[in-house]
Amino acid sequence: MKKSQKRSLTIIFSIISAVYVLPILIVFMNSFKANTSVKTETFKIPTGDSFVGFANYIKGATFGNYPFLQSVGNSFIITVISVALILVCTSMAAWYIARVGSLFSKIVYYLCIFSMIVPFQMVMFTLARTADDLGLNTPVTIPIIYLGFGAGLAVFMFVGFVKSIPLEIEEAAAIDGCGPIRTFFMVVLPMLKPTLISVGVLEIMWVWNDYLLPYLVLDRTKYMTIPIHIQFLRGSYGAVDLGAIMALITISIIPIIIFYLTCQKHIIKGVAAGAVKG
Amino acid sequence: MAKVILKDITKIYPNTQDKKKKGKKTEPKSKLQVTDEGVVAVQKFNLDIADKEFIVLVGPSGCGKSTTLRMIAGLEDISGGELYIGDKLVNDVEPKNRDIAMVFQSYALYPHMTVYENMAFSLKIKKVPKDEIDKKVREAAEILDITQYLDRKPKALSGGQRQRVAIGRAIVRDPAVFLMDEPLSNLDAKLRNQMRAEIIKLRERINTTFIYVTHDQTEAMTLGDRIVIMKDGFIQQIGTPQEVFDHPANLFVAGFIGMPQMNTFDAKLVREGDKYFVEVLDVKVELAEDKCARLAARNVQNQDVILGVRPQHIVLTDKGIEGTVDVSEMMGSEVHLHAKTKDGKDIVVIVPTEKNGLDFGMGSEVNMIFGGNVAHVFSKEDERNLEWE
Repeated sequence: MKKSQKRSLTIIFSIISAVYVLPILIVFMNSFKANTSVKTETFKIPTGDSFVGFANYIKGATFGNYPFLQSVGNSFIITVISVALILVCTSMAAWYIARVGSLFSKIVYYLCIFSMIVPFQMVMFTLARTADDLGLNTPVTIPIIYLGFGAGLAVFMFVGFVKSIPLEIEEAAAIDGCGPIRTFFMVVLPMLKPTLISVGVLEIMWVWNDYLLPYLVLDRTKYMTIPIHIQFLRGSYGAVDLGAIMALITISIIPIIIFYLTCQKHIIKGVAAGAVKG
Repeated sequence: MAKVILKDITKIYPNTQDKKKKGKKTEPKSKLQVTDEGVVAVQKFNLDIADKEFIVLVGPSGCGKSTTLRMIAGLEDISGGELYIGDKLVNDVEPKNRDIAMVFQSYALYPHMTVYENMAFSLKIKKVPKDEIDKKVREAAEILDITQYLDRKPKALSGGQRQRVAIGRAIVRDPAVFLMDEPLSNLDAKLRNQMRAEIIKLRERINTTFIYVTHDQTEAMTLGDRIVIMKDGFIQQIGTPQEVFDHPANLFVAGFIGMPQMNTFDAKLVREGDKYFVEVLDVKVELAEDKCARLAARNVQNQDVILGVRPQHIVLTDKGIEGTVDVSEMMGSEVHLHAKTKDGKDIVVIVPTEKNGLDFGMGSEVNMIFGGNVAHVFSKEDERNLEWE
């Protein structure tokens, strides 16, 4: 590639990147502005008049009767349990599906794939009712529903990767003295690391940011998550405290960004590993 | 250390074709027998392997050699027959409890573990004390000259080094039976020769029972105490490398063992009293006494036969089978002449370079002859060696 070509590509991709990052920057910028300035000077950098420091953060975190920290805690509990469940259960299921070529495993696989194309809105009302009846309406039990919705993509990605692992490695483990459980946890699971991380990131981002499912299922008088908490900043009669909303959105984005930046290398590896047979 | 006995071992893969496809005629991939139960990959395999013997299973792709090895390892179920390791019937014993170790063609190293961890893995599972594991791993690494790579991951090693690690992983287990499934197939020609020599040395050092699978006849001939030649799930012949080379049981073995391949001719076997002659393209050759005795003992009568003569046993002479040189291949110390006979048959003759090998260019007229002690006569009906079967 010529130098001039390289330079023009760099410029084009820099512009595209800036366009992608811009909304986040605007949210971040507006989180330091007074409520009225957010509406009138949305794209301007906060100045002396509009700049309110961390006032929006304090207001957002102390607004209403429900403590914001508890919402963060609930989001954290739901995300950790859900993602852990999804990773452990779907990787095991994918191993079974990839290695046992029975009719049953094929049916399970296609069911998982099919679950990806069913829109959530189609099942949400019946699901909310069923979840209530089964007691799946707490932060500790709602991960079971997340497991169901997250299984499709996760199984799809894991099956692709497991198929690329030579069967001889598992046979060598069997000869070395491993039973199926040991083979999975000591040999297969460590090899799945890149896919575990990429599936983990995708699921974390989805569960952490999800609004509709917890809104429909959780008992809102007792449990709120960050997205629900943010939504409560919209007062009655259309009164919206945009500054506080921007501040809470910024807080909610930070953990995801940190996680993504630390695991970036593995995520790219994982996506490539699923796509290319090794 | 242990002997291994395979008694009527059979492997049948159930038919997985769905009913819709059953009606359609498909081209069979091999000549394996297909029964109502399924495809018979290994048929009535009988073999007694002595303690510390090096057995090589050899044959073309799809002959059932790897399947047999995998049944010994416990990685495939045995459909019929009995398998003994030591004196124990192990048909239903888990691979980990068979006291075996296996080296795979693809090395099958654990990619997330270092060389040391790979070699120590089986001992760790067995809960062997750490210092003992360390001692065994370092000893094996010393034998295989991989001590300097113990901290590396497999991806940082070359093919030959990986194969050494795979062998090392097997050695540390101190197994009763050492199984090797085409361990050198993934290596280049030079490294393969080197590793073959390493395996011979290794065998001297660890002195256990080896069962080795290969499709390479050179590996089979150089490594094995005995060779088992297989085709389409059947054993064709069991014998020492010299036996199978000198006395092939049938035309398949004759063609499979030996490089270049044995030449074959349509010939006539003629019996005159106790003497036997072969008539091929106006040439009549009397068979050696021992061959005649064996044929007479089996009361073999005059008949059309397939005559087999190895390229190294054909000599150029003034009078014999006439042919024209098609291709002359200079191999260094010898020349391989590909000659065409009057009836269009291709014959390969090996002529030493220091003699007159280089005198026969393409298009040269040659006369070829062979001795009665090196001719093999095979039945035209079933291709078996008339002397032995």
